[in-house]
Amino acid sequence: MKPRIRVLVVDDSAVMRKLIPQMIRKDEEIEVVGTAINGNFALRKIDELRPHVITLDLEMPGLNGIETLKQIMRTHKTPVIVVSSFSTEGASITMKALALGAVDFVAKPTDLQPISEVEQELIAKIKAAAASKGVRALPETPVKVRKPSSFSSAPTTKVIAIGISTGGPNTLQYLLSQLPADFPGSIVVVQHMPENFIRMLAQRLDDSCALRVREAQSGDLLLAGRVLISPGNQHIRLRQMRLADVVSLSNDEKMNGHRPSVDVLFHSLARDFGARGVALLMTGMGDDGAEGMGAVKDAGGSTIAQSEESCVVFGMPRVAIQRGYAQRVVSLEALAHTLQVLCAPARGASTGTNSG
Amino acid sequence: MSSSSGDRGTELRQIFFESAQEILQSMNEEALKLEKHPDNLEALRSLRRAVHTLKGDAAACGYKDLTSLAHQFEDVLTGEDLTRSAAIVETALTAADVFSEMIEAYRNETRVPTGESLRKLIARLGSVAGPGKASGKKVSTSAAGKKKVVAKTARGTKSADDAPAPAVELEAVPGWTEYERLAVESARQKSVPVQHITLGLDPNCTMPEAALQIVRNILGKLGEVLAFSPAEARHLRVAGDIEAAVATRVIPGTLAQKCRVPGIISQIHVATLAAVKSAAPAMPELSGAAETPAAETEAEKARTAPRTEETSRPVAAENLLRVDSERIDTVLNLLGELIIGRSMFQQTLLEFGKRFPKDPLRARFSDAFAFQSRVLSDLQRSVMKIRMVPVENLFRRFPRLVRDTARTCDRNVELVLAGQETDLDKGILDALAEPVSHLVRNAISHGFENSEERKRAGKPEQGTLRLAAYHQGNQVVIELSDDGRGIDSTAIRNKAVAQGLVSSEEAQRMTEAELFKLIFLPGFSTAQQITEVSGRGVGLDVVQNVLLRLKGSVNVESTPGQGTTFRLRLPLTLAIIKAILFRVEHRLYAVPLNAVAEMTRIHQSDVHLVDGHEVLQLRKEVLTLVRLGRPAETKAASKLFVLVVSHAGQKLGLVVDELAGQEELVIKALDTNLLSSDLISGVSILGDGRVVLILNLAAVAERRSRVRNELGEAPWGLLLPLAETRQFQERHGQDLPPQGVQNGKAVAAGGEL
Repeated sequence: MKPRIRVLVVDDSAVMRKLIPQMIRKDEEIEVVGTAINGNFALRKIDELRPHVITLDLEMPGLNGIETLKQIMRTHKTPVIVVSSFSTEGASITMKALALGAVDFVAKPTDLQPISEVEQELIAKIKAAAASKGVRALPETPVKVRKPSSFSSAPTTKVIAIGISTGGPNTLQYLLSQLPADFPGSIVVVQHMPENFIRMLAQRLDDSCALRVREAQSGDLLLAGRVLISPGNQHIRLRQMRLADVVSLSNDEKMNGHRPSVDVLFHSLARDFGARGVALLMTGMGDDGAEGMGAVKDAGGSTIAQSEESCVVFGMPRVAIQRGYAQRVVSLEALAHTLQVLCAPARGASTGTNSG
Repeated sequence: MSSSSGDRGTELRQIFFESAQEILQSMNEEALKLEKHPDNLEALRSLRRAVHTLKGDAAACGYKDLTSLAHQFEDVLTGEDLTRSAAIVETALTAADVFSEMIEAYRNETRVPTGESLRKLIARLGSVAGPGKASGKKVSTSAAGKKKVVAKTARGTKSADDAPAPAVELEAVPGWTEYERLAVESARQKSVPVQHITLGLDPNCTMPEAALQIVRNILGKLGEVLAFSPAEARHLRVAGDIEAAVATRVIPGTLAQKCRVPGIISQIHVATLAAVKSAAPAMPELSGAAETPAAETEAEKARTAPRTEETSRPVAAENLLRVDSERIDTVLNLLGELIIGRSMFQQTLLEFGKRFPKDPLRARFSDAFAFQSRVLSDLQRSVMKIRMVPVENLFRRFPRLVRDTARTCDRNVELVLAGQETDLDKGILDALAEPVSHLVRNAISHGFENSEERKRAGKPEQGTLRLAAYHQGNQVVIELSDDGRGIDSTAIRNKAVAQGLVSSEEAQRMTEAELFKLIFLPGFSTAQQITEVSGRGVGLDVVQNVLLRLKGSVNVESTPGQGTTFRLRLPLTLAIIKAILFRVEHRLYAVPLNAVAEMTRIHQSDVHLVDGHEVLQLRKEVLTLVRLGRPAETKAASKLFVLVVSHAGQKLGLVVDELAGQEELVIKALDTNLLSSDLISGVSILGDGRVVLILNLAAVAERRSRVRNELGEAPWGLLLPLAETRQFQERHGQDLPPQGVQNGKAVAAGGEL
């Protein structure tokens, strides 16, 4: 039997220190080796207990979560899962934590969802974190990038649909910061994440790259140099309309347990954009998007999977590669270049549309 | 309600109930800090963090209503706007109360209050939110709202039938998607006039969904519908506005006529859309959308930046370990057994020494015993310390209580706390909450004069209420003093006589201290006039009862015009006491060592009868004697042992047959049906298995006065229970739990003996 995953639970709430271990102990591969009431205590216990994964509350008195996280990243490099709240404030600070190198986050259980859902999510994420190679931390305050005041009127060459999950925020930030302001493609992202967090993520990304990033609204246009991120809890589809290309949002049933689902996005890309479509699956657990990537490939579009060594969690890309749907396997460092080549007007602009 | 939380686990909820109390307490504290210093940013943050934690915990437990209220409150607390501190304080204090009620209801599974008043307060607080507060969403809606107003006035000035219709700026149309705006623009460029149609849904229309479909169909026949909002009926605002952009050559007047559907549409406005400002046609106006988040990010940064500087704050809770009190009780229980074991050992050693005085083993046994005793004492001290908590845990609730009571009673009172670090047994501390709160409320509502009166009396306008704790020997004293009007002893005297509690001669003879004692009598407490005259006397019997139960005492000192002091004395802990043992009629009794002032031996001839009482002149003091056991005449001894004990500032002489040494006693809980006398507060078992009855001095002192008042003809002798103890010993042996260590339950039981 393989060694169990040792978890340290850090939370100032006594209720959470009871509940979280209660939830994750249900999985026999996981062992809670200790709890800590705040950051100072946690840091000492890390030295002592050598946990494999830490769940960390961000709002604590004393040494708060962010400072604790910084120290963990500096000295221990233990994978951290942030246990976050569903408030606006909580979302913003969670984004910060992810930028600092937290592998992933889980929203604290709410009265609105069954506790088993949070339980499963937490267990899965702990396992993914234990197997992860850690997240590269980004500078805390992103470098402010000057953006053009308006979108170029040049037509979009290609439409790039990205599916991403665990480790997404930092990976996306890295990728987008490598793309120039005059990037001729239009990007639409499905990041598995709850609503509030997406808004914060979009802001953060917008601050740190030359492209224009925002949370998508129904009817938003696909424009060159624009990045639209699907809101949490809504599916996003791409449509070719009479006058322009747009996104549309819907509240349809979850797909693969997700809403937004990458598969939904990819299928719409395949249907309306055919060869103009580029499907890209990046770091994250599960298999959402693999199926849809197959459809994009069949429709004549391009398909890319992020390579294993650059993924925080090599899940979704792995499945796509295994099924033979990924035409290219590209490392994060090389991705920006690959996208630029694929979207270059000389090769991409004249590709006809496929309305099938 | 609580049924929705079925799968969340009882244990979890139990933890929640406990920790919620602490959270509410810190809400109160932080709010009061903020009230004192409205610019205390740290207090605001701590307050928010408390609400945040409460919200998260409540959500985890499945308590929906509480979660949603706490969530709303947390949201309006977001940001660092200190200009509305006063409103925040008000809301936070109300919130703490409402949350507390809700939690209580969850705990008791009764109907959970809706907290409607709090919801309103929060909403009001939210509406005065400062500039840094609003979330992105709010900014955009308010901006849209403003534009909307502009559009409305433009519409309002001209009637729809006028031709040509007034021009409307494209950006003045909120709620349209980029694609719709693009469509409008492109139609206009093809020089097809685009008409902006605003329709007011009839307020009596019961099927908005169908109405939307009908309107859409009508417009579709008239031209190309470029934009239409809302997409779904549920998005219809209360005003019921439908907006559409239609590319059509039909003139506005005709459009308006065609749209008029009785029962569905009540208002119609049509306006021709003007040119878009922007030169680049394919480029929708996005600046508004792009700037809002950016601006908010700046605010976000300003808000989060200082938080990281918090790290250097000292961390008090760092080494705290939360342990179930039952576990400590188990340790204490075992320790009690060990102490009994030590007594057994000592007894055996004594016998051994008598039998083999020369045996060298004896000295080694003695050394071993001494060593073991020392370690045991250390162990005992350490274990007792675990149960000790600082009095602060009790005191922290009073700033809020004082503030609220003072407001209600229109008094200006400052609370001064001292000695918060003094440790006291947790069980005792918990039991003290009610009586001390009672005294505090009493002091404020009756003890203090109002500002006018104080000024006239030459006192500072603000009254001072001082709450202090300190150690005194083996006791903890809690003192509550005010600088108010004091108690009028004449009024007490008159009242006592009027109520028939004492005769008028007796009343005249009574000292002030004795008079003050009367206010703790149950009959006295309800006397309304006294409340007005003397300022005291509401429910003080309750206070006294609790103190007696805790084997403590309460007394009062007062100087008219200068103030009153209530002094509560409590044993450090209830579980193990040092005691003096003595015999009365061959039975063993004990009194706490700290109550014993001295021991003396007297002749029967030293005893005098005064006013039907046996008294003893001890140096310059006259001491009332109390006989335990049968009346004096059955006793032959001419020499008497007298234990001088003090209780609640009053001295008594206990006449005993024989002194039997000093012991550490582990107090055991008692079945109430075994011993019915309130004179015994507990039982202990010695190393040799003998049972010791521990005397309840408070009851003894009280009984003495009652005997005098009720049974004037039988002045001496308190009959102590004799037969029961043997029975008790046979039935229970040594298997009794130590008293006072069963979460306060045993404490209560002990008091009901």
